[in-house]
Amino acid sequence: MFKKFSFEDVSAQNQVKASVQRKIRQSIAEEYPGLEPVLDDILPKKSPLIVAKCQNHLNLVLVNNVPLFFSVRDGPYMPTLRLLHQYPNIMKKLQVDRGAIRFVLSGANIMCPGLTSPGGALDEEVEAESPVAVMAEGKQHALAIGFTKMSAKDIKAINKGIGVDNLHYLNDGLWKMERLD
Amino acid sequence: MADKPQPVRVVYCPVCSMPPEYCEFGPDFEKCKPWLIQNFPDLYPDLLKETNERDADKVADKLQVTGISSGSSDGAATSAPKQEEVKRLPGGKIKKKEKQEVVIEKVIRNKRKCITTVKGLELFGVKLSDASKKLGKKFATGASVVKGPTEKDQIDVQGDISYDIVEFITDTWPDVPESAIYFIEDGKKVPAA
Repeated sequence: MFKKFSFEDVSAQNQVKASVQRKIRQSIAEEYPGLEPVLDDILPKKSPLIVAKCQNHLNLVLVNNVPLFFSVRDGPYMPTLRLLHQYPNIMKKLQVDRGAIRFVLSGANIMCPGLTSPGGALDEEVEAESPVAVMAEGKQHALAIGFTKMSAKDIKAINKGIGVDNLHYLNDGLWKMERLD
Repeated sequence: MADKPQPVRVVYCPVCSMPPEYCEFGPDFEKCKPWLIQNFPDLYPDLLKETNERDADKVADKLQVTGISSGSSDGAATSAPKQEEVKRLPGGKIKKKEKQEVVIEKVIRNKRKCITTVKGLELFGVKLSDASKKLGKKFATGASVVKGPTEKDQIDVQGDISYDIVEFITDTWPDVPESAIYFIEDGKKVPAA
């Protein structure tokens, strides 16, 4: 999704009103309970929250010009990889095998066999249509953020086709956009 | 969780901006290598071995080169081909870096009025929005960033300031050498200096 993404794709940036801010906070807190103790550090109450609207119904949540979360249409808010690297345990994790890393880093969606093979790992509790962190075999940090197409059980049972949509990965356009002014 | 989890500080490779463990999958692993060897030798144990071998090769190469060049004149050494910087595009394609120059053009708007356009300032790492503000302030005219032809941004300044602007540019942005500034006069490119 962010394969090609630059400043030009941002069509409008607005400081959102307090009620919208509250809504965003609330939905982030619901989605990532692990983030609650540090939520005030990440999204300080005082500093203004800016929402950048981009093409393809994409929204970025910015604090101090740093993109922290993104969402598609009215979907759940997902952290950017830089944020996820800071707080690695806030999302459910899936692990792909070593062979898949190369493809994931060029933007491919994650196929089921890459998750079920010996190098991969699955969290049984992952439901369909939920945001996940994609880890890699033998690596410490997440390499992508995805949105599951089927539940973990289905991935195991069907073992074919796309399991997770790749939304945001290392070195894509959003990753390179450390700051947005 | 009683305690606040502290943010993990992740080190990123300065070359490809990814965590060092992913450098090998990055666009330019070769360029990352020196940094990796210095900072994370344990991540890629193979690298050290490889470089040791290569260093040995290099030394041998150098010996050969000095042997040859000592015979030839100095002129050959100074006119060594300037390596053009290449920029990797996401598709793995290589794009040549554009020549760094600032082009100033005067466009007549109607009879007595004209607009001075400045192209190419962004190639020197100048922020166009800042630049237009500064220009507007200096010359007390309207100055704006305009999307020029072929997707390039340029600055339009009202009025004919083409003579004062050269000095102003070199003063405010020391990175821009006077030799890189060009005028367009009668469709011809003329160096300002």
